[in-house]
Amino acid sequence: MAVEYKDYYEVLGLPRDASQDDIRRAYRKRARQYHPDLNADPDAEDRFKELGEAYEVLSDPDKRGRYDRLGAQWRAQGAAPGNGDFEDFFERQGFDRDMGMEFGDGVFSEFFERLFGDGAAARPSGPMRGRDIEAIIELSLEDALNGARRRLSLGDGHSVAVNIPAGVREGQRIRVAGQGAPGRDGAPAGDLYLLVRLKPHPRFRRQGDDLLVDVRVAPWEAAVGATVPVSTLAGTAQVRVPAGSSSGRRLRLRGRGLPAGDDKRGDLYATVEIAVPKELSDEERELFEKLASVSDFNPREGGR
Amino acid sequence: MELAVVARQAGLRVSVVRRYLALGLFEPSAGTGRAPLFAPSSAARAAKAERLRRDLGLNPAGAVLACELLDRIRELESRGPNRSG
Repeated sequence: MAVEYKDYYEVLGLPRDASQDDIRRAYRKRARQYHPDLNADPDAEDRFKELGEAYEVLSDPDKRGRYDRLGAQWRAQGAAPGNGDFEDFFERQGFDRDMGMEFGDGVFSEFFERLFGDGAAARPSGPMRGRDIEAIIELSLEDALNGARRRLSLGDGHSVAVNIPAGVREGQRIRVAGQGAPGRDGAPAGDLYLLVRLKPHPRFRRQGDDLLVDVRVAPWEAAVGATVPVSTLAGTAQVRVPAGSSSGRRLRLRGRGLPAGDDKRGDLYATVEIAVPKELSDEERELFEKLASVSDFNPREGGR
Repeated sequence: MELAVVARQAGLRVSVVRRYLALGLFEPSAGTGRAPLFAPSSAARAAKAERLRRDLGLNPAGAVLACELLDRIRELESRGPNRSG
C-alpha cells in the first residue's frame, strides 16, 4: 500500500530554502490559526496535527536533512525508501524547547513513521528508569506472622532472594528494589512490588486480623469449668473455660491473631464445642444416670 | 462541585486548576468562602485554557485572556452581523 508523500514545506507555506527562523515563525502563526480551540472548522484539528508534524521535521536539522534527501526520492519513485519494517503508531509529545511549547499529544502520520520509524529520531530520547512490576505472593499465616525468606524466579531464568518481614498483612505490598523492568540508556531498573495474599489455613479461619478456631471440651469441663489447651499460630496456649459454658461460646485470646500493623495484633477466638464420649464405661454410665436423676436442668426449656 | 472534582474532570492537577481560579478564569457559583463549589463548566474552561497554554506556548494569564476574548467573540457573533458592542 503506497503511503502518500507529505510536503511539509507546503504545509507551512515555505520555500525549500527557508531558514530556521522562517520555519518557526510560520509554524507559530499557523498554529494560532488552526488550533481547534480557536478554529471552528472540522478540519482544523487534522491541519493542526499536520502543522505540528511539519514543524517537528523541519525544525530539526537532522530530520530535515533526512526528509529532504529521502523525501525527494519518495516523491520521485512514489514508494517508500528502504527503511525497514513499518512500525505501529505511537503517541508522543513534541517539544519546542526554546519556546517552552509542546504541540499536544498527536499521533504522527504513516509517512512520518516510514521516514523516521527506525526509532533513533522518533522515540523520546534519553535515559529512562524501568517501570515497576507487581506480582502476587501467597503466604501462609505463619510466614506472615514470623516473616520468611523466599526465592522467586523471574521470567528470564534468574531468581532473586526476598525477605518477607515479620508482621505482614493481607493486601500489603512489599517492595523489592531494582527487580522491576530494566532501565534504558543506563538508567536504573524499576522495582518489584509483591502483593501479599494469605493462604487459607487448615486449622484457623481468618476474619480480618482475627483468627477463629474450635476448642473441644468434655461435658464436665464445660459444666464445672477447666483450663484446656488450644492451638494458636505460635504453638499451644491454655484457655480458661468458664463453668457453665455451652457449645458456641466464644473465648477470646487477646493478641493471638494476625498482625494488625503498628505492632498490634488481632485476637484468637476459640469457640467451645462440647464433645460427648461415644461409649461409656459402666461406672461412667452409672454416674451420668445419677446425675440425671438429681438434676432438674432441662436444656429444652428456658431458665437455667 | 468541589475544586478537586473540577480538576479530575478536566484531567488536570489541582494546582493547575487553582492557578486558573486565581486568574479569574472561573468563579465559585455556590458554597462558602472556605468550601467553594463550582459549576461543571469550570472543568471545560480550565481544560481549554490549559490546551491553549500548552499548544501555543502561552503563559497562564495569556491563556485566560485568550479564553475571555473567545467568549467575547462568541457573544458578538451571536448578536448578529449588524450590531456592534
